[in-house]
Amino acid sequence: MTHTLARQAPTLGDRASRWGTIALGVGVIALAAAAYFGWAREDGFKRLQHAWLVACAFWLSISLGGLFFVIVQHLTRAGWSVVVRRVAELVAANTLVTAILFAPLVAMVLKGDASLYPWADPHHVAEHPLLAAKAPWLDAKFFALRVVVYFGTWFLIGRWLLKRSTEQDGASGVEPTLALERRAPPAMVAFALTLNFAAFDLLMSVVPTWYSTIFGVYVFAGSVMSFFAFSVVALRFLQKHGLLEREVNVEHYHDLGKFLFAFVFFWSYIAFSQFMLIWYADLPEETFWFKTRMEGPWAIVSVVLLFGHFLLPFAGLLSRHAKRRLGILTFWAVWLLVMQAVDMFWLVMPSVETSANPVTLAGIVSPIDVACLVGAGGIWLFALTKLAGGRALIPVNDPRLPQSLAFENF
Amino acid sequence: MVESAIQAGAKPVYGVLAEFDDVDSIAKAAREVRDAGYERFDVYSPFPIHGIEREMGLRPTKLPWIVLVCGLSGTSLALFFQWWSNAVDYPFKISGKPLFGIPANIPVTFEFTVLLSAFAAFFGMLVLNKLPELHRPVFESQRFRRATDDRYFLAIEANDPLFDAKRTSELLQKLTRNPVELCHDSGQSGALPSWLRAGFVGVAALALLPLAATVWARAFDTTRPPIHIVRDMDSQQRFRAQVANPVFADGRAMRPDPLGTVAWGELGASGAAQAGKRGDTFVDAFPLPVTSNLLERGRERFAVYCTPCHGQSGYGDGLVALRASELQEQNWVQPSSLHDPLVRTRPVGQIYDTIVNGVRTMPAYGRQVSSDDAWAITAYVKALQRSQNASVDDVPLPERAKLGVQ
Repeated sequence: MTHTLARQAPTLGDRASRWGTIALGVGVIALAAAAYFGWAREDGFKRLQHAWLVACAFWLSISLGGLFFVIVQHLTRAGWSVVVRRVAELVAANTLVTAILFAPLVAMVLKGDASLYPWADPHHVAEHPLLAAKAPWLDAKFFALRVVVYFGTWFLIGRWLLKRSTEQDGASGVEPTLALERRAPPAMVAFALTLNFAAFDLLMSVVPTWYSTIFGVYVFAGSVMSFFAFSVVALRFLQKHGLLEREVNVEHYHDLGKFLFAFVFFWSYIAFSQFMLIWYADLPEETFWFKTRMEGPWAIVSVVLLFGHFLLPFAGLLSRHAKRRLGILTFWAVWLLVMQAVDMFWLVMPSVETSANPVTLAGIVSPIDVACLVGAGGIWLFALTKLAGGRALIPVNDPRLPQSLAFENF
Repeated sequence: MVESAIQAGAKPVYGVLAEFDDVDSIAKAAREVRDAGYERFDVYSPFPIHGIEREMGLRPTKLPWIVLVCGLSGTSLALFFQWWSNAVDYPFKISGKPLFGIPANIPVTFEFTVLLSAFAAFFGMLVLNKLPELHRPVFESQRFRRATDDRYFLAIEANDPLFDAKRTSELLQKLTRNPVELCHDSGQSGALPSWLRAGFVGVAALALLPLAATVWARAFDTTRPPIHIVRDMDSQQRFRAQVANPVFADGRAMRPDPLGTVAWGELGASGAAQAGKRGDTFVDAFPLPVTSNLLERGRERFAVYCTPCHGQSGYGDGLVALRASELQEQNWVQPSSLHDPLVRTRPVGQIYDTIVNGVRTMPAYGRQVSSDDAWAITAYVKALQRSQNASVDDVPLPERAKLGVQ
């Protein structure tokens, strides 16, 4: 049975280069637009850096969510997910491109440009006792080294998972699968540590005086959620183009939907935990971060997150029927991807002071943000098609493939 | 075999039972039986079979709706009760938060939503499945025992409109190679025994007692003290400080040391305790230099140890004294005013001695206050006395202008 499947293993084929070219084209045009809008603005360079961080964090979070998913599948020896795992492996292995996308931001820090990370300016640090205490950690060279370690870890784990899984496609035994299962636990530990500290370094240190120990978990929750949303959208896209039509069915979507629902709630749980402790303790060095986000137009963005990232999708995905109707599930998946972008925007962008007075919602959103998101996305998707290339889109020879194909929910 | 069983059985027929070897054959049989138009039949298996409800033609369960309604009730009940109890019935400010601050109320609301949802899921499942059901006539079949082990059974019940012992048996016999048997209803009940049901009702009634007691306590006023079931140590029979004790002639519950005794650990302290005296007379000079640092230390120690009774200015109007006179405590001795002429004229050695060894009901502070600190307090007391009985001549000339006097 597996052999018949292997012969007709679905691949992107020549679609890979066609879609890749489109993605790259759109990405480059969007980047040019971002540069144009940035050039036209007085604080354009600063804005551009912030918008670029939002965009890179958004696409990186999808890859990291995928990495988590793949490791968990091997960790638990999951059977149901085999048919959707290859797409996840490709997403998880797509971290080299995000490292390249992040590189300019790290270069700015090394150059001493503090428009994104205020701690990159030694004079600024010297004036703030709180920052002076953190100076050994928030050091440009050490920061760059850590970023290299994070991306290196993700790249190695992601590529190794993909390599071994592809190896299984043509193997006669199950040795590659066993190797994946053996290495999954240390991979999970490495993933947890790197994601947590990367969240502190890349996102939290935009406001270097603020701290929240749960921040890494918050970023993790959003990442995994956005991966499941992306996974649903990607599989639906492939099926629209005649790929994986027989292999992936409503049962698999149902399970992806359950995960999506679970992580919508997990994100909300963590977001509220972070907010409530700070609200209750009421310490000025912690509350100012939320105060910024509860005033003026940022209050609107916060309410958008409360409803858009929690209450509405929670109610919308609660029912079994919603998760099994692909139209509804895809709608919420797209919706939640947008919300993940809004969340990253909400984390980073309030650091940019605006000259407009009074500050309006239109004043805090800029075409630069959208252009950067699309630009980074185009390049990220281009790399994804390169990676997918001639590979089979399901692990055709996986020992648990029959189990996954026959999978049924209760 | 089936015919003879029908004739032999005096007991009413419950249904027809068929045995299957594997999941595939029972799933196929369930679909056949459903397609034949039967509605009252059930499948028995050692483990849940994926998709069997579809083969049997069962309607989707209503359980999610029950859980949803109960979960939402939990949310609103928890929010309502927190609002009513903390903001309306007994407004109580905690940590400077609003009386009804949503973030503080979310954890309880969340837990209560989960609790009621879980209850609804568990008990709703029992009710919808008509559980617990301790007996079914199929249990009387010997072969049926393997339903919890390695065999699969399908039973069509006699109360199905299409049921006909002969034709139904033939239908099932076509689907399985195992013998099909007729089940009789021996009349044994599947309900819980009456004593157990009575027990549940009893426990439920007992569980309502605390609620009833709470309602009773809220609805009626009483002048009797609260019932204290566990007395613990907070209501033990003992004399508290400063209360009367009729056992002793002087009526004091706090006993002074018997004459000629020294308490444990006080032997070394006798030097400090005696430092205010030379022989039997009180000294009238400080044994250490009186500096502004010493006065500052004395002011600070005075605020810690003396002001509760003597008050900030030393008039004997501290909070403890005010409270005692408000409660009209019988044995309370009003603390002295430090500005009483008698106290003002006392030598510093006597003030020191009072601090270290106590006087009348004033306890000895020699243990809490070091000898140097006691001298510092003494110096401050002298300064305090001077300050309350000063004339404008005491103010140095350059300072007088600031006070607006000549």
